[in-house]
Amino acid sequence: MLSAKRKTGLVFFPAFDWSVSPTHPEREERLLYTQDQVMEEGLLDLDGVVEYRVRPATYADIRRTHFCVPDEAAVTTESHLIAAGGCLVAADAVMKREVDSAFALVRPPGHHAMRVVHGNRGFCNINIEAVMIEYIRDVYNVRKVAIVDTDCHHGDGTQDIYWHDPDTLFISIHQDGRTLYPGTGFPADMGGPNAIGSTINIPLPPRTGEEGFRTALDELVMPLIERFEPELIVNSAGQDNHYEDPITHMNFSARGYADLTARLKPHLAVLEGGYSVEKALPYINVGIIMAMAGLPTATVKEPNYDTEYEAQTPEVDKYVDQTISTVRKQFITSQPPPDINKDGRIIERRRNIFYDTDMIQELQTERIRRCRDCAGALWIESSSSRGYRILAIHVPRWACPACQKQARQWCESVPAKTYDKVYIQDRTKNSYTVI
Amino acid sequence: MILGLDVGGTQTDAVLVKDGHVVAHGKTVNGADLLETLDTALDQVLSGVDPKEVRRAVFSTTLATNAIVEDHLEPAGMIVSSGPGMDPEWFTVGPSYHVVSGCMDHRGTEVTPIDRGAVMNAVSAIKRQGIRVAGVAGKFSVRNPLHELMMSQWITDSFSYVAMGHIFSGSLNFPRRVATTYLNAALHGVHHSFVSALEKTLTRRGITAPRYLLKPDGGTVSLSGSYRFPAQTAQSGPAASVMGALALDGCRETALILDVGGTTTDMAILLDGVPLCVPRGITLGEFRTSIRSLLTRSLGLGGDSRVRVDDKGCLKIGPTREGSAVAFGGPVPTPTDAMIVLRLLHAGDLKAARRAMEAVAGPLNLHPLAAAERILTNMAQTIALSAEAFLYSVNSRPVYTIHEVIECARVAPTILIVLGGPAPMLAPYLAAAFNLPYRIPRFHDVANAVGAAAARVTTEVTLQADTQRGTAVIPEAGLEIPIRRDFSMEAALSMAREILEKRASDEGASPDELDFAVTEKEEYSMVRGGARVGKNIRLKLTIVPGIAPDWAEKEQC
Repeated sequence: MLSAKRKTGLVFFPAFDWSVSPTHPEREERLLYTQDQVMEEGLLDLDGVVEYRVRPATYADIRRTHFCVPDEAAVTTESHLIAAGGCLVAADAVMKREVDSAFALVRPPGHHAMRVVHGNRGFCNINIEAVMIEYIRDVYNVRKVAIVDTDCHHGDGTQDIYWHDPDTLFISIHQDGRTLYPGTGFPADMGGPNAIGSTINIPLPPRTGEEGFRTALDELVMPLIERFEPELIVNSAGQDNHYEDPITHMNFSARGYADLTARLKPHLAVLEGGYSVEKALPYINVGIIMAMAGLPTATVKEPNYDTEYEAQTPEVDKYVDQTISTVRKQFITSQPPPDINKDGRIIERRRNIFYDTDMIQELQTERIRRCRDCAGALWIESSSSRGYRILAIHVPRWACPACQKQARQWCESVPAKTYDKVYIQDRTKNSYTVI
Repeated sequence: MILGLDVGGTQTDAVLVKDGHVVAHGKTVNGADLLETLDTALDQVLSGVDPKEVRRAVFSTTLATNAIVEDHLEPAGMIVSSGPGMDPEWFTVGPSYHVVSGCMDHRGTEVTPIDRGAVMNAVSAIKRQGIRVAGVAGKFSVRNPLHELMMSQWITDSFSYVAMGHIFSGSLNFPRRVATTYLNAALHGVHHSFVSALEKTLTRRGITAPRYLLKPDGGTVSLSGSYRFPAQTAQSGPAASVMGALALDGCRETALILDVGGTTTDMAILLDGVPLCVPRGITLGEFRTSIRSLLTRSLGLGGDSRVRVDDKGCLKIGPTREGSAVAFGGPVPTPTDAMIVLRLLHAGDLKAARRAMEAVAGPLNLHPLAAAERILTNMAQTIALSAEAFLYSVNSRPVYTIHEVIECARVAPTILIVLGGPAPMLAPYLAAAFNLPYRIPRFHDVANAVGAAAARVTTEVTLQADTQRGTAVIPEAGLEIPIRRDFSMEAALSMAREILEKRASDEGASPDELDFAVTEKEEYSMVRGGARVGKNIRLKLTIVPGIAPDWAEKEQC
């Protein structure tokens, strides 16, 4: 009997009874053919492939990561909790050493959901990877985590959550933001003042194919991960770089995804986007599972691969090489310059955030304490076009005494009647208070 | 009257049932020849009975199981077509396995036509090896059986029998389809000769009533219907007991069935009289198949298990059986000896049983009676632990919809149904170990044969309609039916129902036992480019395992 070379956990939750709207890309049908293909391949029968049952995440799990406005019940449904919970089940399987790695094939996705959540952005409400990572940090005492986001869209939500965190390396490979939602993710965005160089954006031009992704992985992703020495590698395994995807313009393939997985060897992969439900997803997912299980994937390809797939054009080659050498210079051959602000200084930034799915405008003012010892105390004032005005104070997981003191001062000096709600998320104590 | 017969590992039980009562029963020790054993067992219950009075005869046999486990399979050639995904060479089975090009996708659209030249080359290669039976299996053949049908048509004249994958099961799982198709081909000859010999035996006795074989899902198939899929008569023993419990007890609530035999204890779960089935299919020897089966768990612990004290001074029971109890002349102490010493069982040689208990009690520094007590307590606790693991695996089965995540209650038994010879002696110990009430049905010691007698025909059909492709496929019937764009779930239901009824009567069901359940019913809008382009309807209709209508009133004990 055929058996997996590496023990692989699989958490499959296609949410066959949930959609954003009946004809939305994020609908009931999305993982139907993937399920068909996985079942027909008999992947779940392989010795060494273990399928786990999902469980819903709790609001307490969400509160490690997010500030939900006005509260969790207003911005999540059961499906979001189960998708997040599916990732927690996958994490447990890996952290308890039941399997070498696990793949959470769940929907709805999450990588556009930011720290403050007023509603749905880019089909996402809850950042399921971030919820999973913070759970792992609390339950299994892991510190350094690398996230490689291979979804075609910039993982702006995950970037936002880990922007100030030097213990999380966030690498996003995506279609250039000048040509695709959400329009962000440029190499100049390298992380907040306390975490410069822990955010890495690799924007690739439209029509990038297998070669471009391979170069990005070899020249950038793998060396960066090696240097960072993470305890855990998480892959945000979006599948919309595929040449068949209806809402993007890339030229990647199932075989490419399988190779990428085999080389990256993530401990945890989490499905993100991918909307070619019939011609791409079934083959990509089978390829990813087989690669995780250590099986040869040469026989995995789309039925139309030989006729429809075209290799990268020379001009795309050239452009990709240029981008990659720019980013290499920035992060590998030299180092990004450190922030020049003195320790203890409060640095402010203001942002407009647009929620495309729910049509919400959010205005954010953020203050971070410049700190060399931890991720820094964080103060966020957020108001939305729905009329909420809130204040959120975040104490990082490994906050130094000075940052803890700063957060206390902020809490004590909240002006009366200015905000609908004040949230205090103290990760040192895993406490979450709403005033 | 109904005749029920269950061939077990070491003995064969036979019963004659009239109006829900067992009017005759017998136990026969199995000989080397299966037919001879059946004949002896029939003699025991049919003496003095007018064979005309037998309305139905059901047999649960170990023939297919033994052929698989002891590797007495006839060499069978396999021709498979697959397409992208797992390498089909990984599922190689049998002495002559050939992969030909040809590919269907998950919607049943032909991607690559089947290569006739390659198929004919494979036929020559199989023939050169002197092989007379063959099987054909294609990936996604249950979504479009065309390739399997073509292959079968091309090669049918070259072999005495050709098995096809799609007509056996409508479920998706290509490796299991390959293995099951192979088994159906490789068992065809041996099954054929057994069935015709059994027919002869019954005719010679003047039994002309309809006759059936039991399947591992607790349903029956007529002898003539069983030719199509001989592999599905394997491993029906555990199902026989479950059906016996259902017939004799009704099994309301959440019932845990414990069938305590000589060598093993079998467990199963019934939810309000509906047994749970295994996901995907049963494993027979080295073969993972798509054969439906009740979910049972077997533990190497029974009344005749070997009892010993290991060098650490721990009491060990099972998993081997060295022979019968010392009280019956066996070689080593057993739980049965403990029951005799405790006067729970009045049989055998009490003195010998006491000697056996003394041998166990010495190293434990216990009185022989206390040792006997501890043996039965330990045995019950071991069964309870094993049942806990079994329930855990049932409760961690994956579910795929929000509704199921939120609504699916955990399975937790509320009652024990204890079967088998030692049931009355062991049940109080089991009740204490599980902290649950128990019931012991009458005829508990021949419940398996009763189960065979009481079981009804089961079958299922799968329908997948794709209004964009304009087809409805019912693989079990080998049908691909053109449909209109407005094809509805109602139309799908009535189409599937018609096929199910036909299939059930082919398998020997009478018209009054066709109550079916809709076990899968899903409908998806297919959206491309933001517009609805069609509907994808998926249906499974199943005649679930149950008690035949001619079985008399269900009885509560």
